[in-house]
Order: sequence, then C-alpha cells, then structure tokens
Amino acid sequence: MLSSSLPAIPAALESELRQIEENTRTLLRVSTSHARVAQTPKQVIWTLNKARLYHYIPVVPAEQRHKVPLLLVFALMNRPYILDLRPGNSFVEYMVKQGYDVYLLDWGAPGPEDKGLKFDDYVLDYLTRAIRKLKAVSGSDELSVLGWCIGAILTTIYAALRPDDGLKNLLLLTAPLDFTDKTAGGFVRWVNDQYFDPDKIIEAFGNMPGELIDYGAKALKPVENYIGSYLTLWDNLDNPRIVESWHAMNTWVTDLIPMAGATYKQLIGELYRENRLIEGRMIIRGERVDLRRIRANLLNVIALADHISPPCQSESIMTNVSSTDQLLLKVKGGHIGMMAGSGALKYTWPHIDSWLAARSD
Amino acid sequence: MSEQQETPNPLDPFDTWTAMRDAGLKSWTAMRDANLEALSKMLIDLVNSEAYSQATSQWLDTYLTLSQPFQRVIETTMTQALTRLNMPVRTEVISLAERLTNVEMRLDDLDAKLDDIQRAIKALAASNRAADTPAEAKEIH
Repeated sequence: MLSSSLPAIPAALESELRQIEENTRTLLRVSTSHARVAQTPKQVIWTLNKARLYHYIPVVPAEQRHKVPLLLVFALMNRPYILDLRPGNSFVEYMVKQGYDVYLLDWGAPGPEDKGLKFDDYVLDYLTRAIRKLKAVSGSDELSVLGWCIGAILTTIYAALRPDDGLKNLLLLTAPLDFTDKTAGGFVRWVNDQYFDPDKIIEAFGNMPGELIDYGAKALKPVENYIGSYLTLWDNLDNPRIVESWHAMNTWVTDLIPMAGATYKQLIGELYRENRLIEGRMIIRGERVDLRRIRANLLNVIALADHISPPCQSESIMTNVSSTDQLLLKVKGGHIGMMAGSGALKYTWPHIDSWLAARSD
Repeated sequence: MSEQQETPNPLDPFDTWTAMRDAGLKSWTAMRDANLEALSKMLIDLVNSEAYSQATSQWLDTYLTLSQPFQRVIETTMTQALTRLNMPVRTEVISLAERLTNVEMRLDDLDAKLDDIQRAIKALAASNRAADTPAEAKEIH
C-alpha cells in the first residue's frame, strides 16, 4: 500500500506546483495587461473634436432588421466600450444580433482645451449633430436613444429640448436626475456645499481628473472595490471564464478619463445641489429644460443595488414627462453590473430588447 | 472516483497535507469573507457619514491650497522658458485646438447642408421617375 502511494507524491506535488505557476502567470497577465475589448465590428461615421460616432456593422439582413435605429449614449467620465466589453458579454453585439441598427456616441477624453465644455455644448453641439448624421446615414427620420448614467442626463435634456427631432423611444439606464433626497447615496452627501468646493478643484486642474472621479466611485464601497474585486480574482484563478471577465472589467475600470471642468461644475451645482433639472429650472443656452415636453416612448431601467445613482434619483422622471407609453423596469444588479455583469444577459438585455422591438418597426 | 479523491490516504503525507491545507483554506476563506462583510458595512456607514464628507473635503481643500502656489510657479517658469526658446506655450496650443474645433463645426455645418442637398436631389429624381413611368409605358404599347 505504501509502495503504491509513494509514486503519487512527486506527481501530485508537481501538479500543485504547476497550478501555482499557472496561477501566478494568470495573475501577472491580468493585472499588467489590457484585455481585448470593443471587438464588435464598427466604422466611424462622424467626428467632432474628441467625439466619435460609431456605426456597428449589421449582421441581420436589411429586410429583417428593425426600422428604427438605436443610438447608445454613455457617461462622460468613463469609456463607452463597457457597452461592448467582449464577445459574449457585449450589449452592442447582443442588440446587433437582435436586428437593430446600432450606433454609439463616444465622447472621447476632454483635453485642457475642452475645460469650458458644458452640458449645453454636449447636448446642442455634439449630440444634436451626431443624431443628424445618424439620420443621414441610416435614412431614418426616427430613432431610439439609450442613455446610461450621465448619458441619461444628456439624452433627457435633448429629449426635452428637441421633442420633434424624431426621437421615438427614450431609454434611460440608472439615470441620476432627481436629487431631492439629500441623504440618498454617498455622492449627494460628499458634494454638500457646506464642505465641498468644485470651483477650487476645477481652478487647479482645469478638468476633473479621472483619478478623483474613480476614487469617488470606489470609495462608496471601499471593501468591495479595493479588496473584494481582487479576492474574487484570487479565488477563481483556475476558472478561465471568470478570469477573462475580470480582466475585461478591470481594463475598463482602470481606463480613466477626466470630465470637462465646466460640465463637472454644472453637474454638482445645478443638478446635485440645486436639483434644477427635475424642478424644471435648468437653462440650456437660454432654453428652459421642460421635462413635460418629452413625449417619446419611455423605458426607465433602474438597478436595485445601485449605490452610485440610487433608485430614488431615477424614479420620479416617470411622473414629470408627457410620454403616454412608459415603463419603469427594476432589475437586479448595481450601476454597472446591471448592464455588463454576468446576469445582464438574463435579467436586463432581453427586457430592453422586448420593449424596444415592439416600438422599432 | 471523487470520493477517493476527497478521502485522504493516511499513508500519503502529501495527500494528508493537501487535505489539511484545503480544510484550512476553506475555513480561512469563510472567516475572511465574514470579516470583510463586517468591515464593508462599517466602512460604508463611515463614508456615508457627515464627518467623512467634512474630512475628505477639508483634506482636498488643504491639498489644493498648498499645491496652488507651486503649480503657479511651475506654469510661469515653463511659459518663460518656452517663450525664450521660441516655442508655443500651453495657452497658445489650447487656443489653436479650440480654433480647430470651431473649424470642425463649420465643416459639420457644410456636411449637413450637403446631406440635405443630396436628399433633395434623390427625392426629386424619385418623383421624376414616378412621373415618367406612365409616359414610357404608353410609348411601349
């Protein structure tokens, strides 16, 4: 019995050492390299300053495609490829396969020359022009717009200012629009005017540095973001599916971009502190943003575990618009996980698709 | 097969060590997760407190106040050095970039007008075709 067990010792030890070596290699690779992201085939159809409008190459024959094109608008302070993270875990890829003509507006990273850009410029100069080009390329006078996070603020403002510009369907994801509750979430507390001075930051840096925005987002859940994320990787080093998913997400999380200084001041001052948008007091280039002018079909998606834009900041838009066709959808997950996590394919994307498909022909 | 793997061979020191290590790791992981959960709750409460908001804002304010004079000195020195070297300074590059964006906007305006013209021509051609079709049909018959 002893003799039969002896030869197994070196083999088992070798296997253990091999596993440790493999895990170390994996750990080094994923922590020091960038994953291949945003792989869905696309072409640039419009540019302005740092902004790019991408058109994803359709995979469904034209006669089977939905007639109304879909424009995706992400936040200003992160890269939009979270919507096209990696094959098999890409909202863009999913929607292209479902037969949508998909476009994505990438705001780019603002430089020092862009510190004066405001919501006014992003909505009326960038978004409006990108939509014009989208219509010219797609040949459709109508479109659906999906805005996520700050992208939802921009699309909401656009929908209110240009209700007759062909916007058929408005989809808002984790939209921070209503800041009535000054105790909901860490951000609202942190930017309290008693202590926090955004003017001083912008005066020093010009734009809001990506590192400071990143710190703010991570500090809301410090253990999960600074320790938990790495422990998840450590515990699953022998699971390629989880490792590759972590690698792609880490690539996105660490790909930081600043936010234009004037936009940041507007976000803190006019929205977080003064709550002008939901109260109908926001002025964009002399035009008052009246949410009651929004008549587009509205899908408002809220993440139940969202700690960045708590549900109370997103819900009230439903009663402030004139849309007769509207749906409030509450899904599992957090601010980002809802759309890019492992459960998105099951809990979020099919709901968005089924709602939009019924309104896109 | 799996049962055989789970039950360590008492005469195999490596197997016994592996089993002990796995059991130890399992209990350590459970303990670690429980501790982290408690720590997480505590820190989330902390970062949501008024005291934390005040402390981070004050820290940031102090940092900005202290760093600003140095930043100004660096900016002034760099501007003087670049000017002496006959090189464009930061503000000039920024101004140039802003002008480029304005040029891009004008180009985009032209592009919009061209798209409009193209659409109008296509619509006109389509209506002409529609008007011509019956006449051609008559000629054939």
